[in-house]
Amino acid sequence: MSSEKIIYQEINFHIMKCIITIELGTNAVRVFAFDLNGNVIGSQRGYYPTFHTEPDYSEQDPDQMFITMLYALKNLLNEHIHPKKYKVASICFSASMHSVLAVDKNGNPLGNAITWSDNRAKKEAQKLKASALGKTIYTATGTPLHPMSPLMKIAWIKNNDKERFKQTSKFLSIKSYIIKQLTDEYIIDYSIASATGLLNIHKIKWDAEALKFAGITSAMLPDLVPVFTPLGKLKKAYQSSLGLSADTKIIVGSSDGCMAILGDGVKNEGKATITIEDSGAVRMMGDKVLKDEKQRFFNYLLTEGRYVSGGPTNNGGVIFEWFTRQFGDFKNPFDIEFSMQDLITEASKVPPGSQGLIFLPYLLGERAPIWNANARGVYFGLNITHERKHFIRATIEGILYEIYSIGKTLEENRGIKQLSVNGSFANIPFCTQMIADVFDKPVHLRQNFHSVSFGAFLVAATEMGIYKNLDEAAKTVVLPDEYLPEKQNHNAYMKYFKIFERLSTKLAPEFAEIANL
Amino acid sequence: MFPHIVELGAKKNQAIHLNSFPQSVSECIRIYFINDGKFEWSINDESFILYPSDVALIMPDTKFGNEKGVLEIGSISWIHVKAHKKENADLGKWSSLSETESQAINKVLLMNNIPVLSKLSEAGRILRYIYDEINNQEIGYTTRVNQLIDELFIIITRHLTKQNNRARDFPKVFMQLEQALRQNLSYQWTVEEMAAIAGMGTTLFNERVKNFTGFTPLNYLINIRISEAIKSLKKADVSITDIALDTGFYSSQHFSTTFKKLTGYTPSEFRKNNLSRD
Repeated sequence: MSSEKIIYQEINFHIMKCIITIELGTNAVRVFAFDLNGNVIGSQRGYYPTFHTEPDYSEQDPDQMFITMLYALKNLLNEHIHPKKYKVASICFSASMHSVLAVDKNGNPLGNAITWSDNRAKKEAQKLKASALGKTIYTATGTPLHPMSPLMKIAWIKNNDKERFKQTSKFLSIKSYIIKQLTDEYIIDYSIASATGLLNIHKIKWDAEALKFAGITSAMLPDLVPVFTPLGKLKKAYQSSLGLSADTKIIVGSSDGCMAILGDGVKNEGKATITIEDSGAVRMMGDKVLKDEKQRFFNYLLTEGRYVSGGPTNNGGVIFEWFTRQFGDFKNPFDIEFSMQDLITEASKVPPGSQGLIFLPYLLGERAPIWNANARGVYFGLNITHERKHFIRATIEGILYEIYSIGKTLEENRGIKQLSVNGSFANIPFCTQMIADVFDKPVHLRQNFHSVSFGAFLVAATEMGIYKNLDEAAKTVVLPDEYLPEKQNHNAYMKYFKIFERLSTKLAPEFAEIANL
Repeated sequence: MFPHIVELGAKKNQAIHLNSFPQSVSECIRIYFINDGKFEWSINDESFILYPSDVALIMPDTKFGNEKGVLEIGSISWIHVKAHKKENADLGKWSSLSETESQAINKVLLMNNIPVLSKLSEAGRILRYIYDEINNQEIGYTTRVNQLIDELFIIITRHLTKQNNRARDFPKVFMQLEQALRQNLSYQWTVEEMAAIAGMGTTLFNERVKNFTGFTPLNYLINIRISEAIKSLKKADVSITDIALDTGFYSSQHFSTTFKKLTGYTPSEFRKNNLSRD
């Protein structure tokens, strides 16, 4: 007994360090603690709501996000870190892109934060896209001209909410606001800044033309810093309430999109990452900006000379959830997950191609590659033999055809040899196999893995000198199970995909007409 | 014998008489059950069509009746029960429900804004039993009558929460709950009441909320309370005690302790740091 006690004390004298990552996501904050080898010590999530006060509006309360973040962080520290005597070496952030929060001269919010899915700035986006200035701004900033972009949102506030615009001292991102609370600094990292539509991603400076369009000066934006930047000290009050020491480094970190690709170990061209949660994206890393005449891709900045390029879709898992809610069987009213699983089992009884039933999943309009906010959902090719199971399969196929159409346009510019997928919809085994078949490429799947938070860990660990640089860090990512494509299935899918692709553009006039009815 | 029962009745209406069912306001909770026929009623100036087995639930101070003042042809039964209108009240002394359950039911009924419950034939049966008990006056009938009214309230509450939560998915249910909490933030919510609004038992509710939000229901509520308090603290014209009470803390002391635990600042320190300086 006594010898055991001594050993225990010795362990206590040895300080174990850990890294905390804070991911400010669309619906929730996720806080992870990693040891220096990248193993998860513990995690905690905290939900915050999105408010839709008008049909096109999506807003979040910055103070509630801050409190939820603090609460989740505190719970994690008290449950996993302090009892095990870990010392927190650094805290690294990631956040959703495209948010805008106006604050007054005291740093207090003027209303809620406007989140990425907010569409109120449709007119501003349409106007700019139709102009020659639009092309110049897209080329300089790499952010598609779309209402999601903070450039458009700020222009909207200028045009429609003059009182708020007048009182605004700075336009922040949600992450900038949270960090301001903790360290009293106004900063924005390169990645989040590169998704504002206001940053010249070639020069890493605020773009004069974009600023002019938004009606602001660079003084109204936070200071630009690289993703590794350690910030000032945590305010004293938080040091004591959280039980963290004064030398805990606060690292600004990157955006969720950039972190996800880093956390998946994608460091060079030839590899792409597919993320499908409610919405989805296909992303690639490269050392050059992906130029596109049709302005279909985003190009975000991870670090100098490292660009994350790709295309986003509105219609991911949210569409299958919609389908399940309408047409699923519910044994227990709250078990949508079980109903989805049952539907997938039913869909697996139908051969690839759903025997000629094709689904365009554009229930929420669409971004890449067609960039048509008016697009609608369509079931095409129905005949008398089709049953519910065909609809289920066609719905899943349609969602993945859309992902493939992004991948295909990317591939026209850059080769893709290998795919890695993550996200709650993409990691359903049935869907993962279908992605491999549709793309005709091997797919690595990471079950239950939080790529975004792991990416943030790699950034913090690189800052600490554990890795020489991000490329070295990404190399350490162990790639998990591989799904191999089946040629025969691929061939079957491609026959229908061709029709899918044509319908998506062919129906544009009808989409426009029905939107105006 | 039953001071809380203001009216109990059943009527088979075979002819239309003018002014037989005008719109009126009452202090009672009024429950109407349709045995037969089709009734077009106005409740709180909104018009509803009721079919057999439907129930109309009219809360105190709500305008109710037929727009033209006539009772349509058909058969209905009803009960009017005296109610406590305060939001943290229970159903009344007559009820044998536990205090928390009684308060939770009263709360759900008061917050409900859908006054028509479809297909609740159970309610009609209970009304008939109450009627029979009072008519027959057999041994134990006072207890039985009160038990039956309790039961009527229980099935109505359960039906209401299920009907409101037909959306079938928890995020939507949670969104509605969140709204209810925000609208009544000063109220001392119990987990039972929150679970009742979500239409679940407390065990399932606790588990669901924990899974969905990462917090227990009461801790999630503290999140909302503190974030609303933060907004008020940034305005100079509200006293800290008022903020504490408005956001549902028992006292400024309770507020101060909770606030400091989470944010590291006392409310007054926080205010000093953030007050708008014009």
